[in-house]
Amino acid sequence: MIKILRVAFQEYRRHVFNKRFLLGLLSVPLIVLVWVGLFFLIVSMENNTTPLGYVDRSGLLADPLPAPDPEPPFGPVPMMAFADEAAARSALEAGEIQGYYVLPADYLSTGKVGLVYREPVKGPARQQFYDFLTVNLLREADPAVAARLLEGGEITTVSADGSRSASTKDRFNVLLPMIAGLAFMIVMFTTGGYLMQAVVEEKENRTMEVVITSVSPDQFMAGKIIGDLAIGLTQIALWGLFIVLTVLVGRNYAEFLRGIQVSSQAILLLGVVMLPAIVMVAALMAAIGATVTEAREGQQVTGIIAMPVWIPYMLMALFIENPNSPIAVVLSLFPLTAPLTLFIRVGLTIIPAWQIAVSAIVQVAAAIAAIWLAGRIFRLGMLRYGQRLKWREIFVKN
Amino acid sequence: MPAIELTHLTKSFSAVKAVDDVSFTIEKGELFGLLGPNGAGKTTAIRCMLDIFKPDSGSVAILGGAMTEAKKDCIGYMPEERGLYQDIPLDRCLAYLGSLKGLNRSEVRERAEGYLERFDLAAHRHKKVKELSKGMQQKAQVIATLLHKPELLIVDEPFSGLDPVNTQMIKDLLREQREQGVTVVLCSHQMHLVEELCDRIVLIDHGRVMLYGELAEVRRKFAGNAVMVKAGRDLPALPGVERVEPVNGAVKLHLAAGAKPQEILRALVAKDIPLEQFEIAMPTLDEIFIRVVQGKGESA
Repeated sequence: MIKILRVAFQEYRRHVFNKRFLLGLLSVPLIVLVWVGLFFLIVSMENNTTPLGYVDRSGLLADPLPAPDPEPPFGPVPMMAFADEAAARSALEAGEIQGYYVLPADYLSTGKVGLVYREPVKGPARQQFYDFLTVNLLREADPAVAARLLEGGEITTVSADGSRSASTKDRFNVLLPMIAGLAFMIVMFTTGGYLMQAVVEEKENRTMEVVITSVSPDQFMAGKIIGDLAIGLTQIALWGLFIVLTVLVGRNYAEFLRGIQVSSQAILLLGVVMLPAIVMVAALMAAIGATVTEAREGQQVTGIIAMPVWIPYMLMALFIENPNSPIAVVLSLFPLTAPLTLFIRVGLTIIPAWQIAVSAIVQVAAAIAAIWLAGRIFRLGMLRYGQRLKWREIFVKN
Repeated sequence: MPAIELTHLTKSFSAVKAVDDVSFTIEKGELFGLLGPNGAGKTTAIRCMLDIFKPDSGSVAILGGAMTEAKKDCIGYMPEERGLYQDIPLDRCLAYLGSLKGLNRSEVRERAEGYLERFDLAAHRHKKVKELSKGMQQKAQVIATLLHKPELLIVDEPFSGLDPVNTQMIKDLLREQREQGVTVVLCSHQMHLVEELCDRIVLIDHGRVMLYGELAEVRRKFAGNAVMVKAGRDLPALPGVERVEPVNGAVKLHLAAGAKPQEILRALVAKDIPLEQFEIAMPTLDEIFIRVVQGKGESA
């Protein structure tokens, strides 16, 4: 066991303290930072707190209630009353206001409002004026009713058994599992790629011949898979930590981040489906590395594994339309397609427990079979240079 | 109990018989030469000994039985094509390979220290292996093979790429290992080095054993009816000599059937020829190798 751990540690150390890994690791935070940067850029472009003027001929705003505070990160826009349009226009010309609204005398019956501006008034400022109008329209109403109307509604869809709900305010929760599934797939193939590359290199530079006179091929491969799994989990943990921190900080500024919930079913899927899938792919990658003579050849063969894995993404529209369709269920049970299918479905529906259980059993069985198969391929192919392994040899010979 | 015993070992790859009914024994504490031309089956035989390949038939007993994980820690193997991690520092590479042989960190550090000094690599320990010269990598490989103090050492072409000084260093090291009781299996094409170092040899060609036994005995077996003579002046015609062949300042006298070296010596003395050298002409291992491989020898 100690030798397996030594192989695993060497594999881990070799890849994790490597520029290539660090670049891959930084790619996600970098993308998130670019998103956040873009978000704040758009907010700053939209966030104009120059006062808005109004000329009220309807009498609604003769003695107005103040406008409610806007949602962060937008700043409050002061509302300035003008006696007539001439005064408002000269304030606009002087740059004291960004625009002014004109409420005609028949506003209450028509609901029509005029807006005069030099540069278009941005959405957040317009929204603040509408809220200002609403507050004053509702000044005679029950304060609780007024507050409810201002806040707007939230429709929550709840499953019949009550185990799961989805709100119109947290649509991000549908996307989150899909994004998580995608991240896992990237990690799975990145770390699997490292493993294959390492095996090809060890074969090419003949290190393998030295190493397997110290450890058995099975120990060597087990160590490599454990190391690979640890690399993948490190990557996921660091990405996860970064995303959690981003959400915790970002929820102060972005409302959609406040409704994020991590579903318990998604966490269950990580453990029972995604981890065995990573082990399975790692074992298959090691086997490919042991049979090919150069990394490029290995990448071509990897495509055979990668293709079915990505099928669920191609069928995403179908899953969104009917997440419990027979094809969705079948793909949830097939080893290579199950991880992504389940992660897409978990944001859209409640996956029956039996499907998760069967999928987990299939996934674990597939991982064990992959390790066994890879062990045989590894033993037969590891020192074979320039000669392909035949399927018959894998199943017949010692 | 022999260190290694191969009994009717056969191993094929597809239609090619890489090793064909090979049997030989390597005794404990001897320096044994495993010889053969390229593609003869030496590496396959070694891989079968080390349990890297499973034989199709026959058996291998190593250190008294089948290979076990514990026995792997008692064996040092240096393959012909060097196997070191190129993109990590030398000391880390040695630490990892040593740890796989069951050494802990302090043992590796302590032992590597001594060898790095001895092989003039101490100043290069923090360099990546790929930054070392071919000769340095060769020496580093030797260190990795010896670090865990193996009781069986299998070295494949340990002298390739080494200058005369380092060749001498490795020769001394192999002798030293034998003196310490380590069984050494030496695979090499440099026949003069095998001749210098080995007690016994086996020569494999086309997967089969062609020669096997004590080196001196093998040479005697291949010695023709000839004598080497170096004299102070030109030799006269001698009875019983069929042909005279100049060899490095001396002459090799090929004798007729039935003629004996003693008769030649007597004739030379009778003719008062000043002799500097007179000896039975023994073939070099190089000559024996070529004769066997070219089909002029006999199978063991």
